[in-house]
Amino acid sequence: MIDNGLLVQMLLGALLGLSVYLPLAAGQLSLATPAFYAVGGTLAALLSTRWSALGATATGGFPLPSLLLELALGGLLAGLLALLVGRLVLRLQGIYLAIATIALVEIVRVAILNLPFTGGAVGIFAIPQPFASAAGYLLPALALLALAGWLCQRLDAMPLGRAMAAIRDDELAASCMGIDTTRVKLTAFVLSAVLAGSTGALAAHFLNTWNARQGTFDASITTLAFVILGGSRTWLGPVVGGLLLTALPELLRPVGDVRLVLFGLVILLGPVVAPQGLITPGLLERLGGRGKEAKP
Amino acid sequence: MIEALLQVVLNGAASGGVYALVALGYTLVFSVLGVINFAQGALFSVGGYLTYLLMGGKIGVNGALPGWGLPAGLPFALALLLAAAGSGLIGLLVERLAFAPLRRRNAEPLLALITSLGAGVVLVNLLQLLMGAEGYAFPPSTNALAGLPAVLVIGGARIRTIQLLLLLISAAAVLALSLWLERSKGGRALRAVAEDATTAQLLGIHSEAMVRLAFFLSGALAGLGGGLIGVSVSLPGPYFGIGYGLKGLAVLVLGGLGSVPGAIAGGLLMGLAEALVPSAASGWRDALAFAILFAVLLLRPSGLLGRRTVEKV
Repeated sequence: MIDNGLLVQMLLGALLGLSVYLPLAAGQLSLATPAFYAVGGTLAALLSTRWSALGATATGGFPLPSLLLELALGGLLAGLLALLVGRLVLRLQGIYLAIATIALVEIVRVAILNLPFTGGAVGIFAIPQPFASAAGYLLPALALLALAGWLCQRLDAMPLGRAMAAIRDDELAASCMGIDTTRVKLTAFVLSAVLAGSTGALAAHFLNTWNARQGTFDASITTLAFVILGGSRTWLGPVVGGLLLTALPELLRPVGDVRLVLFGLVILLGPVVAPQGLITPGLLERLGGRGKEAKP
Repeated sequence: MIEALLQVVLNGAASGGVYALVALGYTLVFSVLGVINFAQGALFSVGGYLTYLLMGGKIGVNGALPGWGLPAGLPFALALLLAAAGSGLIGLLVERLAFAPLRRRNAEPLLALITSLGAGVVLVNLLQLLMGAEGYAFPPSTNALAGLPAVLVIGGARIRTIQLLLLLISAAAVLALSLWLERSKGGRALRAVAEDATTAQLLGIHSEAMVRLAFFLSGALAGLGGGLIGVSVSLPGPYFGIGYGLKGLAVLVLGGLGSVPGAIAGGLLMGLAEALVPSAASGWRDALAFAILFAVLLLRPSGLLGRRTVEKV
């Protein structure tokens, strides 16, 4: 039921979940992840189909180092955009920030739809493939996820991560403690964008075609649902949420057209049933505790 | 020249009126609960399809019951009214399922964002199951509304009658709602709850009933907008309300969260701005609302945050 293609999609979902998680860990509800994902994907699609120096072959092959270069460039461009936009929007709080980031997603979507070189509604297709099959994408997706997970884990022990947690708990108190809240929030926002941009670059190759529908308001919601249903208090939550919720519509395929209704019901009822999400710090502690007891 | 301008202004005002309806729907719920009901766009779709069915439209080949429809269509005005009421009732259901359980637990306001979106996903996909993903055009009989010709010539400008009706109906709805909020006992009770739910409760106002009323009215406004747009343009698919829901959100911020006159002025401004986009750049029109929103958020965040309704996430 779960083939390699779906596994790659699940990993990409987990990566996007982490991208939404990072600003949220600093108390900032940003829905901009799909905008940065779209920017990274569009850049990779353009580069690999237009720039012959990257080495796309006539048979649609693509060298691995070029893919890695694109991941870096996709992340870089998204990060630069976030730096630019973040300075402006991070002055906003709560629901205003959420709405401003939705606006960003819509502007990027309309831009990709209308710019002369992004292929309009059809988009960019026949994006060259670095791997012969979907299984090849597992490794880079896993590596990216491992890197992002490691970073999030490290954050807990770093001044940056602690400052983020402090801002999440009480921004005013954090700034009174001498934390440069603007800089911390901006750093989290840019990290989130870099992650989404690189994920987009990988996804563009994996999906083979890329168009404006890749980064929409719908995606803002689904990616936020990854975090909320998975649990927003530890980085494992969004990973688990991303993996499960990406797989869910596919696993529900046997029930036919009702599956999207069921998917909606999960998003509707999830926060009611488990307001903290699936993975909570308490749960991890209990799991860890049991692990220790098991040792003689 | 003047005719062309008049045409643009009337067209802009007509779509602006619909934006104002959607934004007012958000405003009602926001002022009472301090949360945004993201199912608003889906309720807009529901209103469009209900109007279609009530006017005697048949379900298409991809729907659950192909060819099914009411034996006789209702007149436009009645169908629109019933569709708005129907959307209002579904709005009530959304409140029961997506908002009430969280409110009882004093959960984070952020969660209501997710649950209401979930409700929207459910509604839109139920519509898709029932009606199929295809587009619907309204029966041709709607062109001859109230015996008026399809196109009116006013001061040299050619205006589609339906556009004018759209403007008049949304203006009437907005006006009636504002007067009701301002003058009537029920409206005052609603505003009292919006100001301070606990105090209102102590004064003998049934807060929960007022919350439900706000959701009903909010759903009805969205449904009205959906019906109007459906009749004047078409129903391009179950997702068509989502775009209007998003633009309503832009209008909401433009006018200031929780402000009724702000929602009306913001809606008209947005409609006019869009109508002024030259047709050569029409592809960019959908981004205009958000570009304006962005500019407003950045230039005057303090002005918009005037009323302390900011919550900690």
